[in-house]
Amino acid sequence: MSVAAKTQDFEPLIVAFCCNWCSYAGADLAGTGRMSYPANIRVIRVPCSSRVSPNFILRAFQRGADGVVVAGCHPGDCHYVSGNYHARRRFSMLRRFLEFVGIEAERLEVHWISASEGSRFAQVMQDITDKIRVLGPNRKLRDSR
Amino acid sequence: MKEIMQKMRAEAARVLSSGEVDLVLGWEKGDLWWQSYPVFIENEKKAELLTWDLFCVPNLAKYLLEEIWHKKRVALFFKGCDALGFNQLMQDKRVDREKAFIFAVPCSGLVDPQKVERAGLHQGLLRVERLGDELTFVYKDREKKTAAPWFYYDKCLTCRYPNPVVFDFMLGEPVPVNPRERFTAVKELEGQNVDARFQYWQRQFSRCIRCFACRNVCPACSCRECIFDLTSPRWLGKATELSENQFYHITRAFHMAGRCVDCGECARVCPVQIPLTSLNRKLIKDIDELYGPYDAGVDPQKVPPLVTFNPGDPAAFLESKGV
Repeated sequence: MSVAAKTQDFEPLIVAFCCNWCSYAGADLAGTGRMSYPANIRVIRVPCSSRVSPNFILRAFQRGADGVVVAGCHPGDCHYVSGNYHARRRFSMLRRFLEFVGIEAERLEVHWISASEGSRFAQVMQDITDKIRVLGPNRKLRDSR
Repeated sequence: MKEIMQKMRAEAARVLSSGEVDLVLGWEKGDLWWQSYPVFIENEKKAELLTWDLFCVPNLAKYLLEEIWHKKRVALFFKGCDALGFNQLMQDKRVDREKAFIFAVPCSGLVDPQKVERAGLHQGLLRVERLGDELTFVYKDREKKTAAPWFYYDKCLTCRYPNPVVFDFMLGEPVPVNPRERFTAVKELEGQNVDARFQYWQRQFSRCIRCFACRNVCPACSCRECIFDLTSPRWLGKATELSENQFYHITRAFHMAGRCVDCGECARVCPVQIPLTSLNRKLIKDIDELYGPYDAGVDPQKVPPLVTFNPGDPAAFLESKGV
């Protein structure tokens, strides 16, 4: 089997941690607006983007995710005032750190998606699915069992 | 070093007999030339056990977490790196400054027994002495002199705070500060491509036996309940499995982000020589680059960079490449 054929068969699994107040509502809007986005996305609702611990991301990779998206409110819009500012520092550091230990940085994306940005939600999910499809399956952090 | 040791013993006896403290934490000599272990002294007559030599490397600050000493006044000796660790414990509200009486011991570097062994100087070695910048290896029937920095721990060569930043009483004179560049290894790794880096770290992590020595010795790792010990949820499995090792090391290092004092104890105690300082220093370097220079442990009143924010922070996760 050629490499090209393999990538054709590969369907990425992407976990999206969406903040309850903005991005999850954005996903809702994408749904009610009948915009389509790839079925590869598994959305997990969290209270805030700063609720997402690096452990969640590592565990997702360990248990079969090929990519992870963390989505939260735009800076200044956080329901809890400063959660996404903390998240911004945390994931800026984490993404560089994962790259440092040899994990492709493209596998972890952070986006600000507001409740009114249904089309942006669909677009972001489409983009990351396309990117991960090219990148191939995550083998580096996956549990071998 | 001898004079400092004499002073150490005298001061320990003084604070114990005057009742200023209930306990003195110091180092005592073990059986072999490279052994200097922590010792706990409650009686001034035992103050003669105290030693100060080129192998007094264990950080005593972490012993302050022992519950049974919480109500006691403890005197202890700090090198520069230990003092940073103590400040970090203070910042984390795990130790009480009022209950500790700190003797500062300026330190111009300690000797790594493994380097001595690698140089083949360990056979029949009785003791090692230092005069200025020169080491004397003393054997039964001969002596050998060499330049000291060759045998110092790597962490001592890059040490930026050899003089303790927190103390009540200084033993000896402050020593000159002359650190080597500490990010060399990190920069070298950053220059490689992502797969080469993965290969490198996989090689390192697969050696890990998960003894948790790096966690236990770390002055910034002081949670009463550690996530690696939790059974519900069980974040870290028990299986001998590379992905669990990766999970452990990535999480351990990331928990230290903005709090690691760069004392290098984790790498020193690692029984399989995993270069943990490179992980910690990568995070230190990124914090310096993104949020301005920050040295953990220097000022316990400061807020660590990852528990605060600035509305104008860069969104570094939008970089196409992480490094």
